[in-house]
Amino acid sequence: MGWNAGAVRAWIETGVRMAMADNLLEKILHLRLPKLRAGLAALFACLAVLVSGTVPAGAASFTASLDRDTMTLGENATLSLTFEGGQSKNVPTPSVPGLQITQAGTSQNVSWINGAMSSTVTVAFSVAARQAGEFTIPALTADVNGQPLSTKPLKLTVTTASAPSAAAVNSGNEVAFLKLAFPKPKIYVGESAVARLELYLRDDVQNFGNFQLTSTPTDGFSPGKITDLQNQRRRVQVGNRVYTVIPYAVPLTAVKTGPLVLGAFTGNVVVVLPSQNEGGDPFIRQFFNQGDQKQIPLATDPVGVESLPLPEQNKPANFTGAIGDFKMTATAGPTNVTVGDPITVRVQISGSGSLDTLTLPPQDAWRDFKTYPLTSKLDTSDQFGFQGAKTFEQIISPQNSDVHELPPLAFSFFNPNDGQYHTLTEPAAPLVVKAAGATPMPTIAAGKNSTPENQAPQDILPIKENPGALAQIPVGQDSVEPLIAKPIFLITQSVPVLAFLAAFVWRKRADNLANNPRLRRQRAVAQLVRDGLNDLKKFAAANQPDEFFALLFRLLQEQLGERLDCPASAITENVIDEHSVLRSAPKMTLDALRELFQLCNQARYAPVRGASELNSVAMKLEQTLGELQEVKA
Amino acid sequence: MKDHFTKLTTSREKRRRAAALQNAGAFVIAPALREASWTAPALWRFGIVFLALFFAGNLFAADVTADFSAANKLYAQGKFADAAAAYEKILQTGAQSPSLLFNDANAEFKSGHPGKAIAAYRQAAQLSPRDAELRANLAFVRNQVQGATVRESRWQNWFGTLTLNEGALLTAVFLWAMFALLIARQIRPALVPKLKTATWIFAALTICSASVLALQATNHFYSAVAVVTSAETTARSGPFDEAQSAFTARDGAELSVLDRHGDWVQVAGGAGKTGWLNKNQVEILPGA
Repeated sequence: MGWNAGAVRAWIETGVRMAMADNLLEKILHLRLPKLRAGLAALFACLAVLVSGTVPAGAASFTASLDRDTMTLGENATLSLTFEGGQSKNVPTPSVPGLQITQAGTSQNVSWINGAMSSTVTVAFSVAARQAGEFTIPALTADVNGQPLSTKPLKLTVTTASAPSAAAVNSGNEVAFLKLAFPKPKIYVGESAVARLELYLRDDVQNFGNFQLTSTPTDGFSPGKITDLQNQRRRVQVGNRVYTVIPYAVPLTAVKTGPLVLGAFTGNVVVVLPSQNEGGDPFIRQFFNQGDQKQIPLATDPVGVESLPLPEQNKPANFTGAIGDFKMTATAGPTNVTVGDPITVRVQISGSGSLDTLTLPPQDAWRDFKTYPLTSKLDTSDQFGFQGAKTFEQIISPQNSDVHELPPLAFSFFNPNDGQYHTLTEPAAPLVVKAAGATPMPTIAAGKNSTPENQAPQDILPIKENPGALAQIPVGQDSVEPLIAKPIFLITQSVPVLAFLAAFVWRKRADNLANNPRLRRQRAVAQLVRDGLNDLKKFAAANQPDEFFALLFRLLQEQLGERLDCPASAITENVIDEHSVLRSAPKMTLDALRELFQLCNQARYAPVRGASELNSVAMKLEQTLGELQEVKA
Repeated sequence: MKDHFTKLTTSREKRRRAAALQNAGAFVIAPALREASWTAPALWRFGIVFLALFFAGNLFAADVTADFSAANKLYAQGKFADAAAAYEKILQTGAQSPSLLFNDANAEFKSGHPGKAIAAYRQAAQLSPRDAELRANLAFVRNQVQGATVRESRWQNWFGTLTLNEGALLTAVFLWAMFALLIARQIRPALVPKLKTATWIFAALTICSASVLALQATNHFYSAVAVVTSAETTARSGPFDEAQSAFTARDGAELSVLDRHGDWVQVAGGAGKTGWLNKNQVEILPGA
């Protein structure tokens, strides 16, 4: 900043003393305002930091500290590097194999004690472990105020969270623990099931929050979104304590065969327990006890699941991977059509299973029909999408009038409950297909919004015959650059702004002139003098002394009148000696003025002068008026 | 078929020549414009180049129209894949129009590529957002798409009724009108009472249109949509082939692009699902 630190400190101390002087506050405000006094002191302290940067009160120090020396894998510790009495330009970032250390923020604390200011800067780092073990954060060195300072090495122990033993759970010593359960020991690949994750909280937990799962290994499964089952919360007796159970659903679909392991899930939760430090009446305490917050690491036991492959035996040819328990219904209409007319076939498959991935098998028997792309709509009745109905809509049109029926529909699925393949069939539906030309072709594909639901468009609208207005994409670009990205367009938009600014400045100057008659007169006289000097030269060239001296006299009157702020007609030679304003003018100027006035007087009686003499008078007038304009009005 | 492609190749040659002529013209015109004195030779050179550019532009449009008609013929014959290829070749020459993209989308859809069709319809909609036929076809094709997909919000649809260029021009018109009124008020202070209401109206219109333009521009430049163009694509939990499967997206699914990493894009598949897709499985388009 380039400020003298001693002078800054002296100035600030003086300001603080002034602000803190009670008698001064009383005199000025007639009040004792301790808050105001403290605020002023804080304001000056902040000002000190802003102005001087650092005004060291003593020797600088550099320390490192961890908020804990032991943590569970998945938790984060905080490493704080504290600079006291100075600051380092380059804060060292520790690097420890197996730890991920990232800067989390910086805070500054300024204190003012007995006229001495101390500044503490703390740089916080978030420390996460990639593996369990003992880690040492090495000594860090930083250059503080030109002095190299080092911290002490720090030790951090990272342990793996493990599920509490049955004995520990039954003893009631566990404040919170986690349980993971899978509904069945065996599952078929492609089958979906909902695992249950339960958070147990002991009855003395007043509140809980920030429940986070730090690791959810589900190798071999495709996991869905973990859902809080709020309406299934319950209280259970475990050992000799009562626990509140918070259940969560984990939808899973097996994607691999073989022995699979689910978990162990790890996480942590912050619970509020009754404070142990408050005494007094227990009745009163129950109303005012705010409780102690505690972070509890959580872990489940891993759960083994056997994933079985789908049996090859009796697998239907049209099986497309549907696993679950399903029912099928199908409708088709209209059934009395002309060749080429669309027929809508709706197939609804309902039940439980992986409905999202359900597909309708290709119907080989529809070879006499032209088929359009299949559409589907999924309606689920549970939050995991495992139960509900999927409706397929297929548009087909018969290609000849020999078609008399809609072939039977078939859909196969594997039911994991009985381990068997099942095939659902819909019988053939009779059709009446007339030859083309018997009835007009149906109109297809109108705008979606303009057609009622039962007359939805059957196809896309046809192509356009003309290419329309063509644009050419410049070489090396994917698309034509929008106007808003073109500098010329953006620059053009500044034109009205600049024009407005110019008009604004012009208006201000015009208003200023209109409201200032002296300035207006000054400019008018300056213009008059400019024009008059030109005319004088013309009169001199034409040897017209009468007009010349008349104009000269008028110019003298106008210029002097403007300078002296009086009417031009009132100006005579006498004002040179009488008016105080002209006393500040140079003597040579005043003499020249007198001479010019006398020349004007003599011209009335003297004989006619020559052009060269008139020219020299005009030059003298020009010089004199120029000097006169320099005189302060 | 062979004849058609021969014709297309010939047309491309012509267009290349036309484009080269246009580029050459630009190189000749610029120095001519820079010349301090407009001598007679300079004026002649400028006039010749101007005429050459004019005819080159017409040649380009004529060639595209011929290829466009040829592609339309293929479509009418039911050769949708060939028609799609023909439209695509026209687009590769740098020509672009809403009708061209619309027909390309139709051909892609008829060829069984709903993803490519949706991508082309979306590109056409950016050029001609109020085309009812285009919107109807896009809605129809979207209805065929299964699985995870995201749709524009009502606000995005509303903003999308104007192209970015239309929004920019509208904002410019309001801005110029507002400043014209402000300048008139400075020049003729007597008009201030009469112009007061109009000035406020144009100021409000400028602010509104500039806000909409800002949202449009943000959507266009800072967000992107990935349209799946493969039959069935597995989104991975990380940007590498061995990563765990996150979800499956079908051909035509429109997914919000969240991040990019090398040849991979991170997409949101709705219902809080996110995953990484390889760029060759999707077509990435601006968000607007």
